[in-house]
Amino acid sequence: MHEIGVRETVKFLGLTFNIETLEMTWLAMGIVILVACLATRNLKAVPEGWQNFVEMVIIWLHDQIDAMMGERGRMLAPFIVGLFMFLLTSNLIGLVPLMASPTNDLNTTLGLALLVVIIVHCLGLYFKGGHYIAHFFQPTPVFVIINFIEEIAKPITLAFRLFGNILAGEILIIVLLKLMPIWMPIPSVGWLMFSIFISCVQAVIFTMLSMAYLANAVKKDGAE
Amino acid sequence: MIEINATIIAQIINFLILVIILRAVAYKPVARLLQQRSDKIRQDMEKAEFDKKMAEETLEQYKLQLSDANKKAQEIVNQATITARQEHDAAVEETRREIERMKATAQAEIESERNRAFDGMKSQIVLLSLAAAGKVVAKNIDTKENDKLVNDFIAGLNKEMFADLK
Repeated sequence: MHEIGVRETVKFLGLTFNIETLEMTWLAMGIVILVACLATRNLKAVPEGWQNFVEMVIIWLHDQIDAMMGERGRMLAPFIVGLFMFLLTSNLIGLVPLMASPTNDLNTTLGLALLVVIIVHCLGLYFKGGHYIAHFFQPTPVFVIINFIEEIAKPITLAFRLFGNILAGEILIIVLLKLMPIWMPIPSVGWLMFSIFISCVQAVIFTMLSMAYLANAVKKDGAE
Repeated sequence: MIEINATIIAQIINFLILVIILRAVAYKPVARLLQQRSDKIRQDMEKAEFDKKMAEETLEQYKLQLSDANKKAQEIVNQATITARQEHDAAVEETRREIERMKATAQAEIESERNRAFDGMKSQIVLLSLAAAGKVVAKNIDTKENDKLVNDFIAGLNKEMFADLK
C-alpha cells in the first residue's frame, strides 16, 4: 500500500520526476493501447467483443463532438477519444490494490488541463484570428480582466477537480481499509463501487469540459 | 503532496504520444470502418430503393403483358367461336343440300317406279280387256281385228285420263 502524499522521485537531466506517476501513466497507456489493439485487431463489419466497446465510445464521443463543436470538431476526435480513454483507465487503475492513479498527481491533471487550454488558444487563433483576441475584450474592454481570470481558472479548475476527486477516493479507500477490520468489508466495498462510479463520472466531466472549451475555439461564429 | 515538477512536461508528452498511437492504431481504422459501414448501409438502402422501383416497374410490365395476353386470348376465343359457327353453318347447309339432293333422287325413283308400274298395269289392263272382250265377242270378231281395235283404243288414251291413279 503506497503512502499518501509521499512520492518517489527520480532525477533525470537535472529535472525531478515522480516515477510512480510515470510508471502508472505508462501502465495506463499500455492498457489503453492494448484495449485499442484488441478491439481493432480484427475489425468486422458486424462488431464483436471489445470492438463493440471501442465503437460505442467512439460513436458516443462523435455524437458529443458533432453536437458541441460542429464540423471542425471531427479533427479533434482522436484527441478527445484518447483523453477519455486515458482518463477512464487512469482513474480506475487507482482502485486496484498496490496501484495509484496517474490522475492522483496534480502534475498529470494540470498537464492535461494546460494541454487542452493551449490547444484551445492555438485553434482559436488559427480559426478566428483577430476575432478570437477581440472576444476577450467583449462586451467592453474592461471585461478583459474577468476574461483573463476565467482563462486562468479554466485549467486550474479542470485539473484540481479531477485531482481532488481521485485523490480523495484513493485516500478514503486506504483509510477505510485501515479503520475497518477485514471481516467487515461492506464500507470499503461500498466506497470502492462509488469510486468506480466517480472515476467514470470524472473522466466524462473532464472530457466534456475540454470539449466545451475546445468548442468555443473551433465552432464557427454564428453557428451557435 | 502537491508538488509541480518536470513530471508535468513528461505527462504532456506521454499523453501526446498516446494520442498519436491511438489515432494510428484504433481511431483511424475504427472511424474508417464506421464510415464504410454507414456508406454500405446508405448504398444498400439506395440499392433496395432502386430494386424496389425496378420490381414495381417489372410488375407493372408483367401486368401490362398479362392484360395484353388476356386480350389476345379473348380475341383468339372470339375468332375460334366465329370460325366454329361458320363451320357449323356450312355443315348444316351441306347437310340440308344433301337432304335436298337425296329427296330429289328419291322423288325421281318414285316417279320412275310409278311410270313402270303404270306401264305394267296398262299391259295387264290390255290383256284383261282383251280376255274379257274376247269372251264377249268371240263369235263375230276375229282375234286380230280385236287386238287392233283394243290397241288403237289404248293408244288413244292419255295419262290425264289416269290422273286419279296417281
